[in-house]
Amino acid sequence: MNRAQNAPVHLKPAPPAAGRVLDAQLHLLDRQVIDAEGLPVTTVDDLELEGVEADSPMTAGDPPPVISALLTGPVLGTRIFGGRPPSSRLIRLPWKDVSAVDVAIKLGVRSEGLDAGWVERWIRDKIIMRIPGGKHDPH
Amino acid sequence: MILTDVLGSRVTSSDGRYLGRVADARFVLDQPPPGQLLAGARLLGLIVSPHSAGSFMGYERNSVNRPWPWAQLLKWWHRGSFLVLWEDIEVMGPETVTLREGFSAYDPGLDGTGTA
Repeated sequence: MNRAQNAPVHLKPAPPAAGRVLDAQLHLLDRQVIDAEGLPVTTVDDLELEGVEADSPMTAGDPPPVISALLTGPVLGTRIFGGRPPSSRLIRLPWKDVSAVDVAIKLGVRSEGLDAGWVERWIRDKIIMRIPGGKHDPH
Repeated sequence: MILTDVLGSRVTSSDGRYLGRVADARFVLDQPPPGQLLAGARLLGLIVSPHSAGSFMGYERNSVNRPWPWAQLLKWWHRGSFLVLWEDIEVMGPETVTLREGFSAYDPGLDGTGTA
């Protein structure tokens, strides 16, 4: 049966949270990621959770999972046709590098050292820089 | 575990009754910072929607009501959504999320709980 006729009718007020509350779809997924210098890095395609295994029964009192990394990768095809890329194809941005969550997600590190920006760096170094005038800002 | 594996999963009670689908996951920044920048984000719970596998812009979770027809339509579409806390989740997987017996359903509203 796929109709939720058993969904609870009476809802309790949500318990107060001790910190800022973020809903993944509303505040994290698809947000632009900006590095410490304000340069765009990528967008958030997924989140990696640490401390929980899929389909593994949890016992009461187990500590809740935490976000260990923001994930980005080649998701266009899977968003159109379904599924998701294998975990090995997703690039991790560790949560410890995140400095703020706002309209965009800000990192506390420079993008030059991140795997997430390798495509742009490769295009810049191998293609753009070989175009006459491609080594400096436009006048 | 990858979060989007869980989003859209069927949610059932411990006795197998279908309750809805996972529309979102709620986190709270209250863990010791893993580095030096921002607090760790722990999973507070899951937002379950009885009528839809997804959520668009969270109209059912905040007090935004403009444009009025659009807000009313989306709030109606996601009527009956509720928050279930991590403590009440027994199994979390890509196909099914099973809740514990006697789970509590909470108002999924964001207003007053932090950022909206």
